[in-house]
Amino acid sequence: MTVTVPAHPEPVLRVSRLSKTYATRVVDSVDWQLAPGRVHALLGGNGSGKSTLLKMLAGVVPADPGGRIEAAGHRLASEHWTPQVAAGTLRFVHQDLALVDGLSIADNFGLARRYPRSRWGRIDGAGLARHVAAQLGRHGLDLDPQRPVASLRPTDRALVAIARALDGIGDDATTLVLDEPTASLPVDEVAHLFASIRTLRENGHSVVFVSHRLSEVAEIADDVTILRDGVVVGSGPIGQFPEERVVELIAGHPRATVAARSRPAAADDAPVVLDVRGVSAGPLRGVDVRVRRGEVLGVAGLMGSGRSSLLRALFGDLGDGVSARIDGHEVEIRTTGDAVAAGIALVPEDRARDGAYLDRPLWENLSAAVLSRYRRRGRLATPAERADAADAMRTFGVRAPSVDAPLGALSGGNQQKVVVARWLRAGPRVLLLDEPSQGVDAVARDEIHTLVRDAARAGAAVVVVSSDLDELEALSDRVIVLLAGRVARELSGPDVDRNVIIAAMHAPGVDP
Amino acid sequence: MTAVAAPSPARTVSWRSVAERYALVVLVAVEFVLFAALPRSGEVFVSALNLRTLVANQGVALVVAVALIFPLAAGIFDFSVGAVAASSSVVAAAAVVDLGLPVVVAALLGIGFGALVGVVLGVLIAYGDVNPFIATLGVATLLGGAIFAYTAGLRITGVPAGLTSIGSDDWFGVPRIVVVSAAVAGVAWWLLSQTVFGRRLFAVGSNLRATHLLGVDVRRVQLLAFVASGVTAGIGGVLLLARNGGATSDSGMSMLFPALTAVLLSTIVIDLGRPSVPGVVVAIFFIAITVSGLTLVGTPAWVNQVFNGAALLLAVGVARLARSRGGAAGRP
Repeated sequence: MTVTVPAHPEPVLRVSRLSKTYATRVVDSVDWQLAPGRVHALLGGNGSGKSTLLKMLAGVVPADPGGRIEAAGHRLASEHWTPQVAAGTLRFVHQDLALVDGLSIADNFGLARRYPRSRWGRIDGAGLARHVAAQLGRHGLDLDPQRPVASLRPTDRALVAIARALDGIGDDATTLVLDEPTASLPVDEVAHLFASIRTLRENGHSVVFVSHRLSEVAEIADDVTILRDGVVVGSGPIGQFPEERVVELIAGHPRATVAARSRPAAADDAPVVLDVRGVSAGPLRGVDVRVRRGEVLGVAGLMGSGRSSLLRALFGDLGDGVSARIDGHEVEIRTTGDAVAAGIALVPEDRARDGAYLDRPLWENLSAAVLSRYRRRGRLATPAERADAADAMRTFGVRAPSVDAPLGALSGGNQQKVVVARWLRAGPRVLLLDEPSQGVDAVARDEIHTLVRDAARAGAAVVVVSSDLDELEALSDRVIVLLAGRVARELSGPDVDRNVIIAAMHAPGVDP
Repeated sequence: MTAVAAPSPARTVSWRSVAERYALVVLVAVEFVLFAALPRSGEVFVSALNLRTLVANQGVALVVAVALIFPLAAGIFDFSVGAVAASSSVVAAAAVVDLGLPVVVAALLGIGFGALVGVVLGVLIAYGDVNPFIATLGVATLLGGAIFAYTAGLRITGVPAGLTSIGSDDWFGVPRIVVVSAAVAGVAWWLLSQTVFGRRLFAVGSNLRATHLLGVDVRRVQLLAFVASGVTAGIGGVLLLARNGGATSDSGMSMLFPALTAVLLSTIVIDLGRPSVPGVVVAIFFIAITVSGLTLVGTPAWVNQVFNGAALLLAVGVARLARSRGGAAGRP
């Protein structure tokens, strides 16, 4: 890169000795600065203090006294930093984008900033539309302001949210904080978002980029700061931080030597556990799935290719049911009950919506899939259930204060481990996982991968759907690539590689 | 973030949660002592007759409130329990008075009618995807109209002593209606807290999709919740007939409100945020003792209504507070 950065440019944001104490100190005397015109990745596991640090910068969480925040001419003791001051220099785009789907782009702008009014307080719709069109134009978005947000493709949604965040800053350079902007984007659209981020950088804006996907960080970031247990454990230009070192710093110990690729592939002569032919539900157009004992089958594909639909169809949650052979036995799967009876387990993509009882204690969540084991003469043996749940918590590495803690009080990674562990306790023959490490930090991700591999080693047939190609590469013995509801390619051996997968997702049948 | 909580705050939190769980129980005890000690109410309040009436009067209310727990556990407000109890009492009265059927058969018909309404509601809501609010309110209104059509606004009298004795006589010094309603509550407690059915019912209420993806037939669970509710409300109706000695043309909506208050109050007892049978028992005592005590002290009649409304709001508010603290504790 030929961009020359002055040796010591005046930072756009400087925090010193910033701390936050709840019951324990979650952010501990952090010094951090942000150079102008740079993309700065902020990394850290769940519970590292990353979210709290951002919330303090936004002014929504008051910092402990004693620190100092300097930005855009303001020099304030940390406890005097307010959302109003923060809004002058920092703009935030949250992970869920905070867009109202049912309303137009213009209304989404109006709600967030201020509706222009004509006389008698009536909303000046035409004025708003003109303003919004101009704002969208500044970011190279050619979209009709009256279009409902729900009709936008994922990248445009993210870009609209960014344009809205930057509305009203004029031409001044500002700092944009993007919290996991790529989490809900299909892989092929990430490039579009990155192009927009680079444009912002060229226009002198600074970007704080939060992500769990380290390959993306390596691609877009200029600088990186890593937090662990509320302390900055590493900071500097991205060149000094190769992925191995980043993971080590996030985890606090050397990466577990999982040696994914050197592991012996499932033997080709192992018996077939799951055999399904011609699945045609939802967008699927006749998909065959065969998984051997101990094998991990990865499923790749763009959004809308039918990835998640395949798992739901196999689990009896979509379509009119499938005929499958499991361990050689013919079974009809019409309902989720049939699937469970046949020894199939599904870890769903949306944990909060489809998997977790957030208000219930850990032990109830852990035994939800094996409840009938505890039936004693029509009654539940709750003490045994709780004791076994405590054992399971240790076996599966769930970190929580006690089995009585509500699931909602755990970090995302631990919640996900609970949902996976719940099914592993049932000893499924077929384990279906939909985005098993979405929104989970690098450490928990490795732990979940270990659980999945152990399940395969114990003899289960595993199917993993993921939009995270590193994950597919790390876990899969074989990958099928879906395109428009059909299997476009089947990759095995050395072809289980992110570059081959990404090529197959876009150009069916063309060898890279 | 709170995954690694320090040991000392964990202790104080658990102490506070114990205080929260049993606050209403303590309040009931305090009230009892207070009304017994006050010179204006004391003597009458603790007299055997008042205590007997106090408890016996709550038998029907307890059973109707218990009927409300089943659908609420599955996350559905059922506005029909009062109307089901009222119509079951009319069915049983009509069977025994107008058709001259034996008392036992009449009682079973009344309970069976409740079960039938439960099946209809369950099919409409679980399998027909009708909005539960509209379905239960619609059925309640319809039943109210049917009661009025059948009774023509008059009271059905002439219920034989075989039935009314359940409402007014004793077994070994305990009002029979109290024994029967305690038995109903006991069975409901068993079903809700000790069985796989109960666990699944609450699981559906906590996260329907997750329960479905665990292979549970959630529609069947919802249907069974309404059947259980209908049977229980039907028993409540028969007890109402036994207590009153006749069936009135009342639509039963007046029974819904106290039941709702008791069930919502039960969500702040013992297991915070979810209704329970022991919680309902405590809540029913709380309301009954307060109303009886205030009446004896000589407060004007409107105080009762204000108290009922305030209790309802308090229950909803406290339950919400407990939930938000439990759920949001560790979110980043």
